[in-house]
Amino acid sequence: MWASLVLFFLLIAFAYVDVGSIAIGSNKYNLSLIRLNKAIAYSVAILGLQVVVGYTGQIALGQSFFFGTGAYISAWLVADHSWPFLLTLVIVIPGCFLIGMILGLPALRIRGLYLALLTLGLAALFPTIVKLDSLYEYTGGAGGKLTTDKLTGSQYKFAPPSWLPLDEIAQALQNIPLVGGYFGDGPLSNREESRMWKFILFSLVAALCFWLISNLIKSKPGRAMRAVRDNETSAAVSGINLAMTKTISFGIASALGGIGGMIYVAEVGIASPDDFSSLVAIYLIVGLVVGGVGTLSGAVIGGLVYALIPDWASSTQSISFVPQRWLQGPTGSLILGLLLIVLTLFMPGGISTAAKKVKNRFVTTQPQSKLSNS
Amino acid sequence: MKNTLLDVDELKATYGQIEVLHGIKFHVQSNEIVVILGANGAGKTTTLRAISGMVETTGSITFNGDSITDLDPDYIVRKGIAHVPQGRGTFPELTVEENLKVGAFIRSDNGIKADLESCYETYPVLYERRMQSAGSLSGGEQQMLAVSRALMSKPELLLLDEPSLGLAPQIVEGLFARFRTMNQDLGTTMLIVEQNAQIALAMADRGYVLESGEIAVEGEANLLVNDDAIRKAYLGG
Amino acid sequence: MDLFLQRLFDALTNGSTYALIAVAMVLIFKATTLINFAQGEQAMLGAFIVLQLWKWGIPMWGAVVVGMIFSGILAACLERTFIRKFDPADHLPLVIITLGLFLVINAVAAIIWRFDPLSFPQLFPSGKAITIGNARLSWYSIFAFGSCLLVLFTLQTLLTKTKIGLAFRAVSSNLESSRLCGIKIGQTLQFGWALAAAAGTLGASIYAANPVLQIEPTIMLRALIFSITAAALGGLDSLWGALIGGLTIGFVQSVVVQYIPFIPNEMTLAAAVVVLLIVLTFRPSGFLGTKTVERV
Repeated sequence: MWASLVLFFLLIAFAYVDVGSIAIGSNKYNLSLIRLNKAIAYSVAILGLQVVVGYTGQIALGQSFFFGTGAYISAWLVADHSWPFLLTLVIVIPGCFLIGMILGLPALRIRGLYLALLTLGLAALFPTIVKLDSLYEYTGGAGGKLTTDKLTGSQYKFAPPSWLPLDEIAQALQNIPLVGGYFGDGPLSNREESRMWKFILFSLVAALCFWLISNLIKSKPGRAMRAVRDNETSAAVSGINLAMTKTISFGIASALGGIGGMIYVAEVGIASPDDFSSLVAIYLIVGLVVGGVGTLSGAVIGGLVYALIPDWASSTQSISFVPQRWLQGPTGSLILGLLLIVLTLFMPGGISTAAKKVKNRFVTTQPQSKLSNS
Repeated sequence: MKNTLLDVDELKATYGQIEVLHGIKFHVQSNEIVVILGANGAGKTTTLRAISGMVETTGSITFNGDSITDLDPDYIVRKGIAHVPQGRGTFPELTVEENLKVGAFIRSDNGIKADLESCYETYPVLYERRMQSAGSLSGGEQQMLAVSRALMSKPELLLLDEPSLGLAPQIVEGLFARFRTMNQDLGTTMLIVEQNAQIALAMADRGYVLESGEIAVEGEANLLVNDDAIRKAYLGG
Repeated sequence: MDLFLQRLFDALTNGSTYALIAVAMVLIFKATTLINFAQGEQAMLGAFIVLQLWKWGIPMWGAVVVGMIFSGILAACLERTFIRKFDPADHLPLVIITLGLFLVINAVAAIIWRFDPLSFPQLFPSGKAITIGNARLSWYSIFAFGSCLLVLFTLQTLLTKTKIGLAFRAVSSNLESSRLCGIKIGQTLQFGWALAAAAGTLGASIYAANPVLQIEPTIMLRALIFSITAAALGGLDSLWGALIGGLTIGFVQSVVVQYIPFIPNEMTLAAAVVVLLIVLTFRPSGFLGTKTVERV
């Protein structure tokens, strides 16, 4: 099942490498690798939220803080010290893990609503911190930290290795009758190849993260986390070290946030303060809830929702029955807010749980037909 | 000939997935004092909460001929049933007088002031402390307050959940003596849930014993006192 | 001495707004133990409604009163439609719903009124009332603070001398016993939400009426963190605590602006978050709140 998903994504990637868009009515909706790469970044960050909110039950809403921290650390290492992006993870992961554990210390004393409060406050604080004058040389202040090559002005190089037959695959796909046209024309340009390569790399990193977390959940620490979520008192009574479990959960969530941040800045090319505001924290929560709290696929769906919906909302120029005025404002956040409310009311498990329910309805009928045959 | 005020039949109550009461049947007649005994976890509190509408139930609960099984608590109070919950259930931040006024919440008649005064006559200590917050009262005083508050709604049926809990024996004696007087003077019908079988049976008319969500024994109070099984289990042989 | 006085005076200006929004949050917290993250946006919407009514010709203070009533009704509807469905003990869905309302209300206001700053009617006379040496106290600050006090006294009277006020305090004190006394919980909570929204709208209106400010949809975003901190500092279930908390935060703001040279706006936010952290970690009941013991 995962294999077919991967194949599906690869096909999409080749189809929409650069300028893919879907047209509905008179609106063009962008679906390029740029968006998908952002979606991957958000998905990893939301995966972090799944760990701390979904599996450990702590209402920690400040993921944008770690998203931003990972982004800035990467940007600084890449821009000022010429590190390759992926190598920055060596610093980003332990760094964010540690900061997450430290910032998670108040969670040992504060619960529920109060924790939500505090973490939102911390998230609101992030842009302030990176704009501090004393940190200017690391963060580039209000203007942000550029990771593009200052001389040539192009994105920091992500050239795919020569053994990867990207051109050949592209040609092959273009030769498929009927649908070949969707895959573009001719061999891939340097920019397109670079995008493809980034997409593949990021997907691999993300896939690794998801795989690790899915193992974590089934393991003993994972069960401890879920016990804490379900009933702290019972968990403590059964011998689970609450402090340890919570702290590690925070650390993991923050590390994932940082990885997401690295992917984000690798894609966007610049780390700027307002990309990591408390609004971003809220949007990540939207992704978490819409995707489905406590599920892995929910993180993927959430990432896509965050990356695509606000963008598509502002791309919508006209829908026949909706007055123009309503489409010009911040419709993105309107829709995300509505999704949040509607889903919490009617589909508390998010899209992934609803999808599972639909799938189950089809799966259960099959064994019966086998029985009736014999 | 007394008439049946409260009639309960086939009452089942669940907390989430767990069924706590397995179809019990009992009744209370007008002007009676009926006692429900049982160990912890037998379902005594659940029974009272079922009557006052705080728990999911199936079966039938009839009060004065009307079915009250599916009604919300605020309707059941207005029908004439007042419930003094386990642990008193006072409003700790409100003053003693405010507690009593909340008790009279469903009333809009002119007699509230008079009732307040008669409550203060009965319990002078409440009058002394009427401007103090209820949370600052002792256990016994809070119990007096809780019962008085329930009476402010002028109920026909008073439900009392473990009134003796946490109180010194002398206070308990005085409390139950007062219950007897209330019943005799005002005609208030009472359904009392208690662990202190001795004192409860001493002043009740009839009693039931609840065991694991089912009624094990029932009968006249003075006969129950003499019953061997009950003596062993609840009265210490 | 002059400088200190000036700081005190400055504290009154913003502190009064934070206090009013904090009061709104405390009202809801008392009744439901819920923190309404959308409070600031509700207040902002209320202020915009006031603005619109004024533009349509209704006299200034009349517009404020009507705006307050309108936002109260709106809040009662919100409570009934969205909040009531959830178990008050389960914090996560409620937090998320209020976050959703935050986004939606903000977006709706921006769609209707756009982002261009608009002039809000001057509710109070302008100019400086008192000058002591170099310290100047404007009429605006005095009236803002005065409105705060008025609101608190009104709420105090409402809650202690009326039947529904008693019901509200009973529900805040013991939900189950309130049910057993026949209090209709839903209606009482709606009342609380309506009161809170009205207080919030007044707070936002006073804030916007500041002669140096103009109103636009993001006006309450920063105020939210300050107001939440003020409420926590004063004690989340204490109305007078909200006033003290608001003034304290206002004071902290004016002190921080004086002493820390870089980006004062941003640093006051940091100061507020630090205060929040300290309060929640070491003294969650704030100055005047009731202490609840939570042991594992």
